[in-house]
Amino acid sequence: MRKVKRISLYLFILIMMIWTLIPFYWIILSSFSLPVDLYSTPPHWIPTRITFENFKSILITGKGFRGGIGTTATELIKKGLFNSLIVAGTTTLIMTFIAPLVGYTFARLNFPGKKIFFFYIIGMIAVPSWPVLIGLFSEFSKLKLLDTLTGLIILSVAYRMPFDTWFMRGYISSVPYELEDAARIDGCTRLGLIYKIVLPASLPGLVAVVITSFLFSWNMFMAPLVLTYTLRSKPITVTISEFVGQYYAEWNLMSAGALIAIVPPILIVLLFQKYIIKGMVAGAIK
Amino acid sequence: MRNKLEKIINSEKGLAYLILVPVTVLIFFMAYLPVIQSFRFSLMYYNTRLPWKTHFVGLHNYFRILSEPAFLSAFERSAYFVIIAVGLILSIAMGFALLLNERFKGRSVIRTLVILPWAIPPVVNGFMWKWLLNGDYGFLNGLLYQLGFISTYHPWLMHPLAALNWAILTFVWRFTPFVTILLLGALQSIPEEVYDSAKVDGANARTRFWYITLPLIRPMLAIALIVIMIYSFTVFDEIYTLTGLDPATKTLMMYDYELAFERGQFGLGSALAYMIAIFMFLMAYFYIKSIYKEVEL
Repeated sequence: MRKVKRISLYLFILIMMIWTLIPFYWIILSSFSLPVDLYSTPPHWIPTRITFENFKSILITGKGFRGGIGTTATELIKKGLFNSLIVAGTTTLIMTFIAPLVGYTFARLNFPGKKIFFFYIIGMIAVPSWPVLIGLFSEFSKLKLLDTLTGLIILSVAYRMPFDTWFMRGYISSVPYELEDAARIDGCTRLGLIYKIVLPASLPGLVAVVITSFLFSWNMFMAPLVLTYTLRSKPITVTISEFVGQYYAEWNLMSAGALIAIVPPILIVLLFQKYIIKGMVAGAIK
Repeated sequence: MRNKLEKIINSEKGLAYLILVPVTVLIFFMAYLPVIQSFRFSLMYYNTRLPWKTHFVGLHNYFRILSEPAFLSAFERSAYFVIIAVGLILSIAMGFALLLNERFKGRSVIRTLVILPWAIPPVVNGFMWKWLLNGDYGFLNGLLYQLGFISTYHPWLMHPLAALNWAILTFVWRFTPFVTILLLGALQSIPEEVYDSAKVDGANARTRFWYITLPLIRPMLAIALIVIMIYSFTVFDEIYTLTGLDPATKTLMMYDYELAFERGQFGLGSALAYMIAIFMFLMAYFYIKSIYKEVEL
């Protein structure tokens, strides 16, 4: 009886893993397969020969299809990758610096209007996407921010505020006061206090903030779709979406491109899974 | 100068405002002002291709949207999407969470792998499933052919009735991990002793699930339910790459994109955006209300 239970448990786990991993396997298989293997009926589930040709064409030689206005696949992927790295990297950097400050403000400082400021920031969560984007489009065109990386960075920093503020506030509140008092007696300034005493004590919280900020701006799509229109600022999510509109679909190349776009978030999850789980749960209960 | 700055930083009020004023300004320009702006648009005839014709029309746009047959069918698709997605995600995630709550070798590795779909860009997820379901060389066709279930390949996404279901599945695949982790957290907070005493009383696994587990994780289930509702109602990225502006998958979000950015109808688009927002507010309202209720418990 126990054995039957054990076997059925492993069977269900196997089903769960197949369901979760099959799309990834298909993309990986497609990007490392020769077209002959991939485009046969049925496809070779294990490639006869592993090839890096697809990555070479898409990252270096630019062979294969062209995008909307004659841009090569290589340009789409490389520029997109570059823009995404800049936007996600800068956003993450800014949030690493700002989130502890804002979190500290709400966790520790007393000042008139604290509640109002707090709800003003958290209220952003309720602000829905289309009304914002339609308004932002006309605002961005007036501020000359349309189709710029700066515009995307400012936007994604702003939209990280509610979650990161909430999260850091919670974390910093749980740091014991005594730590700060001791440091203050030693003549530490308040800013020094934040970065030298409070921050190290709430480091796991900061890591979660940093990771979710990166994932958020890397995965961002709707906003850049309407706010960018050239490779000067299109992130990789947008350039990938343009592949799909191709008349002649080269799935092996497109899969290689898609794989490049999902590797950074996947790596982050694998490296920081402990913090991510914490962040996911806190994010929903906020 | 330096002294003055130091003084501000060292007073609680000064430091707080020094930090919060820039943040407040940023959020005003990135969130609240655009929302006000598009509300203004929703009361105007405003086509970005005919900007000189812009004029105030009051609530006309709202009435026009409501009288469009396209709105009603888009609403139906959105409602269908939400209902099916909620059902599927809650049941799959519940199953996954129960599995991950068991003790077995390699559990932490498996738990990490289960999260992966949640981390990838939704728009790439749409692409991935478009390729899985492709009619010429796709995975699903290959697999069914290999297993002998079909003798010719099918263009799965082309069937108008099926396309929306595939879109739901694509979203379900990405969103299930998130809900799984939420439910797993709730399961792990149940003390072991509760189960032990039930076992002593002779309760079998099914009884334990219905009479102990479910009531205890009910608060988290309520939260998960609303989170899924809000997110499935606003799916855009996946559908955009999976089927694009195919009428078969034109939910309210897709319809609004088409109105505002494909046809340049900023006035009508804003009005529809506000109607979507109202639905969302209603859902968010119940969300917040349910959380406060649960917290009091």
